[in-house]
Amino acid sequence: MNSPLMIGFLVLTFLTCGSAFFMLWTKNVLHAALAMFMTMLGLAGFYVLAFADVMAVSHLMIYVGGVLILILFGIMMTGQRTSKTGETNELFTEQKGRFWAFTIGLSVFFGLSWLMGQQYFYAFSDIDQHSKLGQAGLSFMLEYSFPFELTGVFLLIALVGATYIAKNHE
Amino acid sequence: MNEIPLIFFLWVGAFLFATGLSIILIKRNVIFVLMGVELMLNAANLNLIAFSRGDEQNQGLMMGLFVLVIGVCEMSIALAIILQVFRRFKKIDIDQFQSRN
Repeated sequence: MNSPLMIGFLVLTFLTCGSAFFMLWTKNVLHAALAMFMTMLGLAGFYVLAFADVMAVSHLMIYVGGVLILILFGIMMTGQRTSKTGETNELFTEQKGRFWAFTIGLSVFFGLSWLMGQQYFYAFSDIDQHSKLGQAGLSFMLEYSFPFELTGVFLLIALVGATYIAKNHE
Repeated sequence: MNEIPLIFFLWVGAFLFATGLSIILIKRNVIFVLMGVELMLNAANLNLIAFSRGDEQNQGLMMGLFVLVIGVCEMSIALAIILQVFRRFKKIDIDQFQSRN
């Protein structure tokens, strides 16, 4: 229980869950984007602790480098005025139905925890602690080659479509 | 045993999923809702990775990588649509559209 792996896991848990809860708590969209950045860093750490280094590196590159910048651009380009105070306030968002949201969220969390406590999951006996980069590359080229190509074409189509949708149609 | 029990990963995943669901329910900004969706997606992805820890064929890992790419596609298209909605209606609240009964 006192291994350095476990201590790292606890630190990452505090980081990830704390910043995820801060995302729920705050009303400022920009602060939420920053908290999402911390959450994604913690998730990459979890992937490292689960011995999936490929996933950790691609998660860091895609989410911290790509999606978060996209969200910041979205926040920047959709500055809106609040109707209550009348003055320009681009970052604060309204909340509604707080009671039901907390109730549903808490019940989902405890329900899932209870459900997972009921099960017995078969654990693999020997966990391979080496890098999985070579195995993942071979799997991409061998047994997952068709989904790999399909995903590439899908990504291309989605990005071209997103560019076309975001164009100024005047 | 020098590794973390599986159930800890599942607890963290459940917490992130519940938090993302609460964000979707509580917030009235579309970008905020999208961030909640991303949180739920990543919670499910964490479960996939945690279950594929000792798998020799890395099935969960490959599935997680594909989920990552599809999530990026969803995010980019959604932000483009949000941009167009903002251009047309000057607002991106969820409550701004009401059905006419």
